Amino acid sequence: MDLLPAAIIILAASSLGIPLFQLLGDKKSKIPAYILIAVLTVSLVLIGANTIWPTTETSFGGLLGSDALGGFFALVTLGMTLMVVVASISYIRNANSPIYYGLLSFTALGMLLLSYSQDLLMLFVSWELMSLPTYALAGYDKKRAQSNEASVKYAIIGAMSSAIILYAISLTYGLTGTTQIIPAVRALASQPFNPLVSVAVILFVAGFGFKMAIVPFHMWIPDVYEGAPTTVSTLFASATKSAGFVAAIRVILAFATVYVLTQNPLFTLANVIAVLAVLTMTLGNVAALTQKSMMRLLAYSSIAQAGYILVGFVAYAYSPLSSTATIGMTGVLFHILNNAIMKGVAFLAAALVLLELKRGDLQAYNGLGKRMPITAFTITIAFLALAGVPPLSGFWSKLLLFLSVINGPFAWLAVAGILNSAFSLGYYGWVIKRLYMDEPESAEKVSEPLAFVIVFAVAVGLIIGLGLFPQIVTNFAPSAVKNIFPG
Amino acid sequence: MSYLLSLLIFIPLVGTPFVYLVGRRNKHAGIYLTLGLSVITFLLALYSFWFIYAHSPALGQYALVEKYTWFNFQFIGLDYMVGLDGLSAPLVVLSSLLSILVIIGSRRLIDHHEAEYYALLLLFEGSIMGVFLSLNLIVFYIFWELVLIPMFFFIGVWGGPRRKYAALKFILFTFTGSTIMLLGFLYFYLGMPSPSFDIPTIQAMIQNHQIPVGIEYLPLLASFIGFGVKLPVVPFHTWLPDAHVEAPAPISVLLAGVLLKMGGYGILRISISLFPQASYEYAWVFLVIGAVTMFYGAIVALLATDLKRMIAMTSINHMGFVLLGAYATVATGSPLGVEGAIFQMFTHGLAIGALFMLSGYVHEQAGTREIPLLKGLKVTMPRTAVLLVLGSAAAMGLPPFANFLAEFMIIAAGISAYSILGVTILVPVITSGYFLWFIKRSILSSPEGSATQHDIPKPDALAIASYLVPLVILMIFSYLIIAPSVPVAQFLAHLAGLRGG
Repeated sequence: MDLLPAAIIILAASSLGIPLFQLLGDKKSKIPAYILIAVLTVSLVLIGANTIWPTTETSFGGLLGSDALGGFFALVTLGMTLMVVVASISYIRNANSPIYYGLLSFTALGMLLLSYSQDLLMLFVSWELMSLPTYALAGYDKKRAQSNEASVKYAIIGAMSSAIILYAISLTYGLTGTTQIIPAVRALASQPFNPLVSVAVILFVAGFGFKMAIVPFHMWIPDVYEGAPTTVSTLFASATKSAGFVAAIRVILAFATVYVLTQNPLFTLANVIAVLAVLTMTLGNVAALTQKSMMRLLAYSSIAQAGYILVGFVAYAYSPLSSTATIGMTGVLFHILNNAIMKGVAFLAAALVLLELKRGDLQAYNGLGKRMPITAFTITIAFLALAGVPPLSGFWSKLLLFLSVINGPFAWLAVAGILNSAFSLGYYGWVIKRLYMDEPESAEKVSEPLAFVIVFAVAVGLIIGLGLFPQIVTNFAPSAVKNIFPG
Repeated sequence: MSYLLSLLIFIPLVGTPFVYLVGRRNKHAGIYLTLGLSVITFLLALYSFWFIYAHSPALGQYALVEKYTWFNFQFIGLDYMVGLDGLSAPLVVLSSLLSILVIIGSRRLIDHHEAEYYALLLLFEGSIMGVFLSLNLIVFYIFWELVLIPMFFFIGVWGGPRRKYAALKFILFTFTGSTIMLLGFLYFYLGMPSPSFDIPTIQAMIQNHQIPVGIEYLPLLASFIGFGVKLPVVPFHTWLPDAHVEAPAPISVLLAGVLLKMGGYGILRISISLFPQASYEYAWVFLVIGAVTMFYGAIVALLATDLKRMIAMTSINHMGFVLLGAYATVATGSPLGVEGAIFQMFTHGLAIGALFMLSGYVHEQAGTREIPLLKGLKVTMPRTAVLLVLGSAAAMGLPPFANFLAEFMIIAAGISAYSILGVTILVPVITSGYFLWFIKRSILSSPEGSATQHDIPKPDALAIASYLVPLVILMIFSYLIIAPSVPVAQFLAHLAGLRGG
């Protein structure tokens, strides 16, 4: 039996129901948070069961297909949303909590639908369902000018990217007569070469690129991540970013399976993505090195991580359906999962520091190992994993990504990626140095709320666990990779 | 006992969190727990060394091999594989012995965050065991990187005034080197007709001429960058003086005694044995780099005024011998060089360890390590002075310390490769020069003022003497180390000669 509709229905019900608590009067109530935690947990169980015992059914007239690829991303995005909600219990203290959790629930629903979308229109609708609540969430600190700026900036950029995606969808529909992704790709395969398709593919890259945080569509990232409430930034950096990647995998890579961008051997999709990948990781790492604020450092390192993920895209676009493509895409899925966990927990740790010390500059992290030992340890593990230090989870995903391109014309990409990883340890190590080697400004111990500690423990457990048992992901991933373009 | 080698790795690793938890409640209990686990590890290491000595594995074979599939994915098969031979056995004994001596020596010199310190010490010991025992390139790399993390904190948290700079410089140099090395491994892996990360499998393929020579060159370069940073060789050595000088004395012992050996071990185990043809063609390059490193380390040490810096530069000088010996065998096909290199790694670890520990005590008591300011140690700190003279004699390569034998073997091997390398005989001369000069200036001079200094306590003096005793024993019973290393050296010579001549 297909369990997907059940998950969709309970998430939709909670999205519509939670805001009603606002009418009951208690605007600081924690009940909406507990309801959302319960709903997300049940959805995760349903999706998990659905992913382990897959069905071939499609829901809603072929708009959604419950495949392994969708299941993977639904688990990642909803799992990260759950972490954000748990941490928010301690973080969002003085705000209209029913609205906050209602918006989070809508975003989760959008990401769930997006993960399973098999149709461009469904994909667009879920994309909007995911994005619109986040514009409001970014401005949730309504008395802080920075937060307002983040909201406006994000909304404008988001609207622009939506428009670009919509334009690409309309081009695709015009050329193929269908909005179903796989039939559209099949239709293209039987047509002669048409440059308009390349325009559509490039527009998709740009449109999804905004959410994925790839250069040159990254300008909004540092401002919005810094300005938005930090739990919301966590959602952006881990969950909605992953959702951007699933859209790109489902659309762009499906196209890439049968379609070359131009007849010119230089201007292929693999080459275009390879250049974007190098630019993204290099710019992200170089800019991160010079930051003075933790949020901005994390934002730039988030951009750099997107660059690593694109390496696997290159492997797929260069020779789809080959074994190196499977390795590369396994690396992509693994790294998206790792990035969501590592980056998510790093943001939440920064949120806790901001909450307790009221400061976000790197100076505030001096000697944190003495004042907030659990938080400091969590940041250390997350940063070492982000740099790709074994035996943590980030090592394996990077290994697979670089392995997928090293024996071919894109070997330079692996070299660039490895050098970037080494370089990134410069700023990660710098922060770890602050945590344990610099003197704190005051010796006073700072409390670490239970909600955060639980999230930290789960995330650190996952980072180490996936590092010791990478087969959990690598055994599963190839079946998800097959869903990109089934034959 | 088939789990012996895994126990060597995992007793310290699993002990890490327990030492931390116990040490937070009771400092002394934590130290004794660390010491107990290290002693158990050392006894197991001795047993495994005896096992290698008694049942020396045949050419290209490993003893006590354990192999489990870690994970299989597409064409990537990854095995947890460990094994022991005449190359790794002495280093395993050395590492576990130095760990015990370092724990004893740290009691007085480390005075804050003890729980974290001893927990990291065990993490370090376990990962270094993993480096010396792994027979799978990726598992090797994982342990290799794991070593960096405790060392980064050792230097950065417990170090001297410029500790933060030194810690960051250390981790950036070594991490960059090792990521490049990993890239080389991946390139080599994909170039093989039937890819494998298992070192014995690759060696078998090389013997059967199944690996195209063309894919050896880039990985040789990449791995040499990784190992060269650790060894270190000129010009990748600049992290070393900072790290050694800033690290607390017990950690300098681990740095020089154990961490540098990772470089020498990697060159023998991987650079030469997996890329033998490329190594053979470019042996002269590595011989030149080795000789330059020896001279550079010796000359800079001559100019150093800080006692600890002088000892650190001596390490560079001595590790140059290892590179020279290793590639002398590649160039000539005579096993003498590799035997000398393995012997040199063992003896250097002990002699330099004693000197670093002593420099820590001198600094603690005299308040300075500047050689021109240290006067009349023979009067103010007689026990320390005696030990310093003995340690210097060992480092100079003076009989009856086994260092003499190791350096003699390497220089002899170097001459048989290229007679011009006979100039390296000058390196021990320079080394003796600066050590004797130091003894004259700081120990045999008359003390200034009447400042009384506490001498090193007797138990600690005994601990330091136990660095030096094995060196004397090994001078007489040198076959203890050399006999098991012969098959390794012959095997490396055989591999290098496969296509060379």
